[in-house]
Amino acid sequence: MAYNNVNFMRLLSEESSHSTVSSDSCEYYQTEIFDQLPSIQASRPEQSRQACEDYQGGSEAGEEVSHDSRGPKVKASTQPLRNLVMCIQGRRGVRDRRKMQISNIGFWESWRRSQSINRKRVWAQMGGTLSGLLPWQHTLHAIEGRFGVGVKAYFVFLRYLVYLNLLHCALIGGFVLGPTAFYGRGKNSEPLTFGGDDSVLDFFQGSGYLDRSPVFFGFYTPGSLNLQCLNTPLLYLTGILTILFLSLILVVRRTTVGYKHTWMLGKRHSMNVSYKIFCGWDFTIQDPPAAALKHSFIRNDLKLFLEEQSFSLREAQRTLGQRVRLYLLRFVLNLLVLTLLGGAFSLIYFATKTSQDERDHYWLVRLVIHYLPPITISFVNLLLPHIFRKISSFEDYSFTVQVNTLLVRSIFLKLASLGIYLFFIFTTIELNQQKNHFHCRENLFGREMYKLCIFNFLCTFCNAFLLNYPRKLLQEKYPSSLLAWLWRKQHFLIPFNVLDLVYSQTVCWVGVYYCPLLPLIGAVTLMATFYIQKFTVLRCCVAEQRMFRGSSSSVLFHFMLMLGLLMAAATLGFNLYEQEVTTGKNMSSCGPFGNGESVFNVTGVCVDSLPSPAQSTLRYLASAAFALPLILAEIILLTSYVSRGRANQKAIERLKDMLVMICAFPLQSSSDKRFLVKQHTTVLRRLRNPPRVRSAAIKEDVPLNH
Amino acid sequence: MGTTASQLGKDMLSEYQELTFLTKQEILLAHKRFTELLTKDEKDLPNTRVSEERILTLPELKSNPFRKRICHVFSTSEYKDGSLTFEDFLDLLSAFSDSATLEIKSHYAFRIFDFDDDGTLDCGDLEKLVNCLTGETDDTRLTTEEMRQLISNILEESDIDKDGTVNLSEFQHVISRSPDFVSSFKIVL
Repeated sequence: MAYNNVNFMRLLSEESSHSTVSSDSCEYYQTEIFDQLPSIQASRPEQSRQACEDYQGGSEAGEEVSHDSRGPKVKASTQPLRNLVMCIQGRRGVRDRRKMQISNIGFWESWRRSQSINRKRVWAQMGGTLSGLLPWQHTLHAIEGRFGVGVKAYFVFLRYLVYLNLLHCALIGGFVLGPTAFYGRGKNSEPLTFGGDDSVLDFFQGSGYLDRSPVFFGFYTPGSLNLQCLNTPLLYLTGILTILFLSLILVVRRTTVGYKHTWMLGKRHSMNVSYKIFCGWDFTIQDPPAAALKHSFIRNDLKLFLEEQSFSLREAQRTLGQRVRLYLLRFVLNLLVLTLLGGAFSLIYFATKTSQDERDHYWLVRLVIHYLPPITISFVNLLLPHIFRKISSFEDYSFTVQVNTLLVRSIFLKLASLGIYLFFIFTTIELNQQKNHFHCRENLFGREMYKLCIFNFLCTFCNAFLLNYPRKLLQEKYPSSLLAWLWRKQHFLIPFNVLDLVYSQTVCWVGVYYCPLLPLIGAVTLMATFYIQKFTVLRCCVAEQRMFRGSSSSVLFHFMLMLGLLMAAATLGFNLYEQEVTTGKNMSSCGPFGNGESVFNVTGVCVDSLPSPAQSTLRYLASAAFALPLILAEIILLTSYVSRGRANQKAIERLKDMLVMICAFPLQSSSDKRFLVKQHTTVLRRLRNPPRVRSAAIKEDVPLNH
Repeated sequence: MGTTASQLGKDMLSEYQELTFLTKQEILLAHKRFTELLTKDEKDLPNTRVSEERILTLPELKSNPFRKRICHVFSTSEYKDGSLTFEDFLDLLSAFSDSATLEIKSHYAFRIFDFDDDGTLDCGDLEKLVNCLTGETDDTRLTTEEMRQLISNILEESDIDKDGTVNLSEFQHVISRSPDFVSSFKIVL
């Protein structure tokens, strides 16, 4: 025992020569508390490495060290071996010792432990197999290897959207397609055939053949399943609402999870630079060019940060006159931005108006006119962000703010132009319908969404194969030509690409009521988009200049998605409400809600058929008398959560203060702390004496190697 | 218990599975890659060491600016020459694997960044670290003034006890709040 202690002392004094505690008696180190202190765990790598090296050298010292420090052993017996910070030989030693322990603890305990280990292993294996089943794992790895975490985040987001759309497809299949296929449609519906004046063009316009097909709302006339509470209209409505609610839950969950990671931990000890340094290198990078790129990323990022710091210094030193001039300039520029946005919106309005014109033209002209609104929207969205970028460079913001304002303006432009378009389309369709009573209004609306979706995909396709790829080829063939120099290198701009995805998903949500197969179309186009973007990234791009942090950007992505979803829900709600108001004058008689039924009265009919207690309960739930207690309860719940959050915030602050103390412990160890630890030791020793003798006896028998 | 380098016994395989974070396939792949680094004669010897130069020819490590440090940290060689046995190699892959815990990863990251092996990150370590990150050549380095500003920033943020160095617990504290670390501190064969 004496030898062990001496040995242990030697190791400790080697490693903690900078600390003031090494002069104490050795019992001091043998306590559990001391071992669990972060400062001691901080110095353990040295110890365990020492242990490994000694072990390799054939001496028994390493073995003895971990035996003597009882803390890790006690802790270790619950911790999986692989979690120990030591080399494999060291872990082997620990395992052998644990085996000896197991033989002492009796059959039942040992069986239980080995079972739990086996169970864990099976779980881990199952997890591994399942994650191996996820599609595109390999592609993501390759992309990550060449472009780092940021671009991968985009592709993960894309994959998430594919999953979401497939889920929607399943719901649509269950609630809408299934009942329709099983119970048939109304008797007066003619069979679906491709003929007459249908043409291939219809697939792009969403008219003719497609108009009669299951793609659109009008197909789903009420079928033979016609119970009071189980009929096709009701199922249709349930399906669509489920989709919207489920998406809301999923997206909110993803956003909050990311948000918690990024912001909840408070800003008092902001760790921005330290992250950049300590977590800066992406160890997954294998390509030398990618590594060079990463070097320049980090360099630019650091320089940017330092520049920003000196910028804020400069900002603080601005005189009043300069400040007034700057604000005036910003005001004017913001007005300019607003004017541009207004111009863009009116352009969209005219395009929409023109496209609703039902005159006969040559087919190509007709196609172009049909696609005029999507073309305008895309054109505006392509052009304006670049103008915004130029504008924001005059505003004398710091670089990060510049990029953020650009992003916010672009988001606003994209979603607002979609919203404006929807609004105009709605009003023009209304007008059209009043002029000439022709078929289904919902189909017309669905058709517009269908066109937007298709056009968005065509844009991605053309962008990749008609713009980026030729550009890359040109650069490879004639690297010195003027044109190649003008176009320079192609970057993969994550924010704009994500905006595209969010936009198409929003279109999908808005249109799902009018065009139930839109999720399927969305899923297919997204899958194709995945491969197209993969091609673009791997073949045509050098990575983007600005580094994007995986976590914070994915929060931003999901937040944008949530905005899109809210917009979709608002549009749908508005449309249905408007329909209810106008229904009296102008009954639309297509789709599931034919002959006098509407979205609002199908549920009413169902409720009326229920037994009276259930009916009155439901009526109470829907009344204002119930709303008041509900709101009160929500307020109470919210208040309690807010106060709990505040309390937690305070606790976090206090813990941060304690953290400062604990991290400072090795240097500030005062005598009273030592005294406490000593007291604790003596108590422990009195309790532990018998088992310790036994463990020493066991140790004698432990063979070193086997 | 020696491993003959050319094949891997079944019991060794399960032992390695128990002792590392690697799956069976990963261990087999690691073994295959490791034996490719050996010469003909060495293949029959147990516990052969592969020198640092030959380890660094692996594409997974080749473009990593910390490659020498990684070898040095995971090497159990007495001569501190950075040479690795197969088990050291497994150790390396285990720490860098997908399933290794944050604690393990941050621990090894700290040791990799601790260039002078003294148990803390001081100004010298930080300067070397930043130079590794930005590139080693003269025109890619930060200027002295920038470096000074940067290091004072780092210390201001993460040196909680204000002793002028970053110790392991402070380091782990920083790392634990970075959600990106686990996903980027990864080497998969």
